[in-house]
Amino acid sequence: MTEPATTTGEVIEGQPAALMFLVAGRQFAVDLNRVQHILEYQAPTRTPRRPPFVEGIIHHKARCLPVVNLRKRLGVEESGPPNPALLLVAGTERDPVVALVVDRVLRVLSLPADRWVAPPPRMFGIRAEFIRGVANEGGRPVVWLEEAKLLLSPEPIGLLA
Amino acid sequence: MQFLGPATRRNRQKLAAGPTESFLLFRVGEETYGATLQGIREVLEPTEWTALPPDRFQVCAALTHRGRRLPVIRMRALFDVMPDQAAGTARVLVVGGGERIVGLLVDEVLGVADVDPGRIGPLPAMATLLDPALFRGVVVRQDRLILLLSERGLAEFDEVGAFYAGSV
Repeated sequence: MTEPATTTGEVIEGQPAALMFLVAGRQFAVDLNRVQHILEYQAPTRTPRRPPFVEGIIHHKARCLPVVNLRKRLGVEESGPPNPALLLVAGTERDPVVALVVDRVLRVLSLPADRWVAPPPRMFGIRAEFIRGVANEGGRPVVWLEEAKLLLSPEPIGLLA
Repeated sequence: MQFLGPATRRNRQKLAAGPTESFLLFRVGEETYGATLQGIREVLEPTEWTALPPDRFQVCAALTHRGRRLPVIRMRALFDVMPDQAAGTARVLVVGGGERIVGLLVDEVLGVADVDPGRIGPLPAMATLLDPALFRGVVVRQDRLILLLSERGLAEFDEVGAFYAGSV
């Protein structure tokens, strides 16, 4: 599996750093410290009777990792681009590393902490419990996800268009 | 200089590589699975089997083999692979021992692979909604991931338990 080109962006000391990416045309982010690798997509081995948002498993550096399609986790029915990216992120106690399928990695986003504000009760249809903060970047909102909570919760989410 | 024949060289290479365990590889749908060869008693061509009451048995059927009635787990049904119909290459693997002998209806038997048990990793918890006890783990073989089934987990599968509890 090859690693894609370096993600651009600058980490500014003292400011929270997030990795920004696109899912279904929306800008999302996860804590950069929880991102271990960014990989090109590879078709996973399909596992039997998996949750609808799990595509299967992949092998990376002697570990077997579950592959979670973030589009499906957020309830987006349309299929994504042909060449999505895989973010290997720190997961949960049961699955310490999880591969997240996202449409496209944008860049590292390092903003002053006060630019991240508490989310409204729902943002794009996602409950505030699953959101760490919201910021404006390039005139568009960025939603910083609490990805571990998203992975643990069975709650269905319907991303609003 | 001592000449080593191919078989001797293979054996020495095997010893140098450490102990291995043999697994029978088989296909269900498009994916490859394995079951320890030691636990497999027979491989049968599928013959007529009896349906079991569908309210209690969604994936198991019954097969009479050597005068004994066995539960057969239809692996396509267990794994939710559609369509739930046996292919022409289908086989029944008879696994287990003692009181809990189980048949596994698989799509095709692919062969045998030697696996270093130390290289069997755990199946990620999110990977399936099935009881994790059904799986012994995952192993990489020729860049492919193969899920290994647990003989004990299959014997303790709830429908197998219900079958042997004498409820049918």
